[in-house]
Amino acid sequence: MSINLTPNSIAAINGGDLNLKPLVQVLDIKQIGTSQERYRLLISDSVSTHHAMLATQLNDRVKTGRVKKGSVVQLIDYMCSDVQNRRIVVVLNMETIVLDCDIIGNPKLGDMTAQKTVSNLNSAQPGRSVYDNRGNIQSFRPAFNAQNPGSNNMQGLQTNPLLQSQGMQGSRPMLMVPNGSNGVLRSATGKNNNNTQTYAPTVQPAYQPPPSYRNQGPIMKNEAPARVIPISALNPYQGRWAIKARVTAKGDLRRYNNAKGDGKVFSFDLLDSDGGEIRATCFNAVVDRFYDVIEVGRVYLISKGGLKPAQKNFNHLKNEWEIFLEAASTVDLCPEEDGGSIPQQQFDFKPISEIESAENNSILDIIGIVISVKPSVPILRKNGMETQRRTVGMKDSSGRSVELTLWGDFCNKEGQNLQELVDSEMFPVLAVKAGKVSDFTGKSVGTISSTQLFINPDIPEAHVLSDWFARIGQNSAAVSISRDVVPSGSKNEIRKTVSQIKEEGLGRSDKPDWVTVKATITYFKLDSFCYPACPLMIGDRQCNKKATRSGTRWVCDRCSQEFDECDYRYLLQFQIQDHTGLAWVTAFQESGEEIMGYPAKEVYQLKHEAQDEARLSDVFRSRVFYPYLFRLKIKEEMYADETKVKITVVRADKIDYSSETRHMLDTISRFRRY
Amino acid sequence: MDTSNPAILVNGNLLPTHVRKRVRTVIQVLNSDRGSVIGKSTDDQQLVIKGSPPSTPLTKFVEVIGIADSDKSIQAEIWTNFGDNFDASSFNQLCQLANGEYQHLFL
Repeated sequence: MSINLTPNSIAAINGGDLNLKPLVQVLDIKQIGTSQERYRLLISDSVSTHHAMLATQLNDRVKTGRVKKGSVVQLIDYMCSDVQNRRIVVVLNMETIVLDCDIIGNPKLGDMTAQKTVSNLNSAQPGRSVYDNRGNIQSFRPAFNAQNPGSNNMQGLQTNPLLQSQGMQGSRPMLMVPNGSNGVLRSATGKNNNNTQTYAPTVQPAYQPPPSYRNQGPIMKNEAPARVIPISALNPYQGRWAIKARVTAKGDLRRYNNAKGDGKVFSFDLLDSDGGEIRATCFNAVVDRFYDVIEVGRVYLISKGGLKPAQKNFNHLKNEWEIFLEAASTVDLCPEEDGGSIPQQQFDFKPISEIESAENNSILDIIGIVISVKPSVPILRKNGMETQRRTVGMKDSSGRSVELTLWGDFCNKEGQNLQELVDSEMFPVLAVKAGKVSDFTGKSVGTISSTQLFINPDIPEAHVLSDWFARIGQNSAAVSISRDVVPSGSKNEIRKTVSQIKEEGLGRSDKPDWVTVKATITYFKLDSFCYPACPLMIGDRQCNKKATRSGTRWVCDRCSQEFDECDYRYLLQFQIQDHTGLAWVTAFQESGEEIMGYPAKEVYQLKHEAQDEARLSDVFRSRVFYPYLFRLKIKEEMYADETKVKITVVRADKIDYSSETRHMLDTISRFRRY
Repeated sequence: MDTSNPAILVNGNLLPTHVRKRVRTVIQVLNSDRGSVIGKSTDDQQLVIKGSPPSTPLTKFVEVIGIADSDKSIQAEIWTNFGDNFDASSFNQLCQLANGEYQHLFL
């Protein structure tokens, strides 16, 4: 049975009936107004037509395609006002009942493009209602709407690659309500196949549904399938929905244990033809249902899942919601033709130069040419587990290069692949999706569990980049944003000035801070510059614990042994200064010897045995006012009741003027930018 | 420190802009003759240093301070041996900074 619009509702509305809540059809939508976005609808009750303005709060209905030309809507809340001798109807609330529909009846049309609609009616008579479970896909496809204005998108649907063909229908037999009379029929005929609509009243006002299409018994649970909507339109208040999307990432199956017991979880990311993305997560039993079904790159129709706010910590997709698949959720594989317009992957690449100003720990996508690959190194993590780390240098047309840190599996798989390509001078394009920005040394990007790497992807950006590289990039220098210091020392050097130690509160967090400071020794504390140390070996290391005198011998607490001779080890306390300030630091044996130039024992003997004050002070005086590149470990420690920030000199290097100059020139050039 | 007669830090490219002024630069000695020394500036240009070098032998890198009398030569007054290890590129960048953005810091 065809949908019947509420007859004469236009007249009734114009007459002042605001409680009618009629079913009308939208024949046309026009955007009006220059400063403010307003939409004007042409509504029909199958006999006559009238203009109605859409309240601005409903604007996004039009923009997201929930209402389009041909849609049958129920006007829930509206008002009439007289303006310039015309009755203007303003729609304050409405519900779309059918998104795509032939022109119903023969409304007296006004002055518009609706004229064309009449000509495009094809074999499907408007009167026929045939089941269609696709209903209103791609209402956001203005392209084919324009081609077939108001034609009910018949042809449009036919050419729409996303449209489900019979295959889909076949898999959803449950949704048919084969009713003898004229309920919902499936059209299997070639004449018309699945292109005409049925009504699928997906939203009903709580009260009085218009009786015209209630021709089959009491209202039961609506068995009609949900309409496919764009991912960007998903929200928890939506009611039934379905999305058709391609899986762009499939997470690992993870087991966990919490207060409620053991559980397992897995997530996958979806992308639809609109570019909308969302993550779907399954728990426990649901995991078993879908884990093997979901494959990266295939297109699925997903429906009847819950929607909850996205966990921004783990979910870096641009969507405020996440889908939670439950027992009643459905996931159906779609044939590939339907997914023709859904891209395989969606990126939002940022040029490398923008990484420099990106926030630490932010997630972004980058693409660049790989110019260097370092071998993997094993790294011991906090939890004691060892993992692999590999650094890859990338550069792009912004003239900057960045270090990409690969962790774990990426080192072996993609890392090895990249190494081989770079070694054979075929510098590949690498696209990174969901890399994390780190500001450990300059700015760099690292992989996280949800990162995906694509080597030489077949996307336009990759082609542009390899073209640029071949012509210009190969020979142009790129400024690295990833290194603070010209690698004269280890790779992880962070340079600070003395005043920054206090200013930035270094050492106050859980872990000690390691920094490099160029400073000059200005004063030595002469009182106790060394201590007697236990020389006994524990394993392959010396005990070095402070030994206490016992008679003429020494005894060590840790080793519980006595020995005649103790070792003397440096415990130097001195002041360092640079142009910003001064600080007290402590140096132990290795760095102490480096600074003093004499073994601790000698200096000790000078003081205590030879009692040669003059020479002693000479020795120290000769070491003062020397500049060094200090590697400092800064940590806050508790002493009795107070916490003090202790600075230990781990290494004291003499300045290599050449590399130090280069470092300063580099710093100057950065300074210039601000 | 005697600042009465400041010399401008130059390299090969900057010398022409300071003709007839007191300049200083570091050159790598290519050829040493009586009365003049041919040197390579830190930006790979050939300069002629006139005057009498000191009696001690010249090392590979020498700093000369004197009056620039043409855009490729300097009448040197002071010669200083800078040794054999010298970071020419850093010096070159120094010259650029000293004559560019940070000129005001130098003279």
